[in-house]
Amino acid sequence: METLDSLYIGLQAALQPNILLYCFFGVFLGTFIGVLPGIGPLAAISLLLPITYHIEPTAAIVMLAGVYYGAEYGGSTASILLNLPGTAANAVTCLDGHPMAKQGRAGVALFMTTIASLIGGMIGVFALILFSPSIVEIGLKFGPAEYFALMILGLISASTLASGSPAKGMAMVVFGLLLGTIGTDINSGVPRFDFGIAEMMDGISLVGLAMGLFGISEIINSITIKRDGKITEKITMRSMMPTKKDVQDSIKPMLRGSGIGGFFGALPGTGAAIASFISYAVEKKIAKDPTRFGKGAIEGITAPESANNAAAQTAFIPTLTLGIPGSATMAIMLGALIIHGIQPGPMLMSEQPTLFWGLIVSFFIGNIFLVILNIPLIGMWVSLLNIPYRILYPAILVFIMMGVYSVHNSSFDLYVVAIIGIIGYGMSLLRFEAAPLLLGFILGPLMEENLRRALLLSRGDMATFIDRPISMWLLIISGLILAWSFFGSFRSHLRKKTLAKEQAAAGNA
Amino acid sequence: MKNRDTRDLIGGIALIAIGVFAAIHARQYEFGELQRMGPGYFPTVLGIILAILGVLVAIPALFREGTSIKIEWHSLVWVMVSILVFAVLLNHLGMIFTSALAVIASSMASDIKWKARLILSGCIAVITYLIFSFGLGMVIPVWPWSY
Repeated sequence: METLDSLYIGLQAALQPNILLYCFFGVFLGTFIGVLPGIGPLAAISLLLPITYHIEPTAAIVMLAGVYYGAEYGGSTASILLNLPGTAANAVTCLDGHPMAKQGRAGVALFMTTIASLIGGMIGVFALILFSPSIVEIGLKFGPAEYFALMILGLISASTLASGSPAKGMAMVVFGLLLGTIGTDINSGVPRFDFGIAEMMDGISLVGLAMGLFGISEIINSITIKRDGKITEKITMRSMMPTKKDVQDSIKPMLRGSGIGGFFGALPGTGAAIASFISYAVEKKIAKDPTRFGKGAIEGITAPESANNAAAQTAFIPTLTLGIPGSATMAIMLGALIIHGIQPGPMLMSEQPTLFWGLIVSFFIGNIFLVILNIPLIGMWVSLLNIPYRILYPAILVFIMMGVYSVHNSSFDLYVVAIIGIIGYGMSLLRFEAAPLLLGFILGPLMEENLRRALLLSRGDMATFIDRPISMWLLIISGLILAWSFFGSFRSHLRKKTLAKEQAAAGNA
Repeated sequence: MKNRDTRDLIGGIALIAIGVFAAIHARQYEFGELQRMGPGYFPTVLGIILAILGVLVAIPALFREGTSIKIEWHSLVWVMVSILVFAVLLNHLGMIFTSALAVIASSMASDIKWKARLILSGCIAVITYLIFSFGLGMVIPVWPWSY
């Protein structure tokens, strides 16, 4: 009953009034951000990162985590009412959620997605509790070679699986790794790429990088997007009540969705967005009547919403047990811990039990807060969707700048944000994804350290990565993913080419 | 050069430039050997890999059609002006006036009326004060005369 004892420690930690307050604040802000299309959880978490300097680590991580899974709850609101996904992971909810709203069943859709989110979230947390201790056991046996191989696997899958072009994704990871080398080298004390600027000796700040890449460039991209369609419909409690059939049709899809989400959430590189798409595809495949999908099928919203919430919780498994984040969002969580001098990894569970278990118990509490926020208070969020963006973005920009300034009380970081903002906007124009860059940036120093240490231990023999079985298998899997994704993009390129040729031939005929 | 995928072409060339620059710049740091890597080892290798990936991005783009790039100059410039206004003035005018001026600058990117713009800047300045100074207790001068 060791787990129960640990959960009791966590419960005591999570029930402290200030932790409860930060948990509530986190999920509240997460819902807020999730509801608004155009601001993702990544931008929101970066926005809050400066605040975490001023509060204790448990409160900080509880709050940031709340923003993350809270956004998955709120994200379905805009998908259903406006046909605009609140976050990427809710995009698939538009397909059946918006038709439901058109049929006058918006209330039912909002209610059922909240319940689906709750079930997915809870199952995700149970998976986290169940699997974390055994993964920690494995992690404790890891040496630097295994860690290096694991980071290679994480970076390769994150950069190739999610993006359209594997070369571009990989390039972003390497660019991120390179940016991570800026500043004083921990082994030799030599400042690298500092260009003689004293502030650069500490490297680029995570806050500045995240805000510039996600905050500033998202604002520039969103200002001119016209968002018409005011919501006049009133969502009453009565209109939210699902029929018996709605509930019956949803139970199995929600459980399947949670399973799919829980699995893909824990894998590096895949995450909430991919999990929700896969679970939608699965439901469509096994449905007796697949033609109902896209026309307001209840399984089409409940399965993916369970999946993305389960994934949001299990994404914490590799981050908390091994210290290896599977996505950029998780990388920022990791960064928040490192800011407080806490090195995440297999030792975290035994060295920081109140933080580890307190965070997990806060997931339960946060999910309950979210149900309260999303069912009785849904009207508030719906009216939020009517606030025009031209009023919101100047406020967001000022908050970003205040936050960045407050970290070191210096204007230098603001100039850094401006430059990174321009780079980030340029990247979005050229369709380069920023998330792999951030992941590379955070993992860069850890990766270099483990690479150096592994080769020091093996006296410079590269064979150490293959001689050790775990590291060998991790590298083999990385190689397969890499080969598969390059092959896949090459094949789709060829297919497009033959298609174009056929069309041209048909046009000539 | 018409109908080429300019996005990937520009992106690939930029990556090559960054990679080459990093690899050359890192030569001033000690390279070391596999067993005992110097500070220059990791960045040099990364720079080379980045340049290779840049080639892999740019070359296929030569043989592919693309769409044109549309830059939102108006939004970009005003957001940057807003950040610069904020960075320069915060140490002289205090957070209330600086926030208000930054809001005026950034809202120039949208077609909001002047009266609404001024009201908005006042409201956001007050909210900023309430959150950061009052709520989070940050020690940042509020007025020009609080220095």
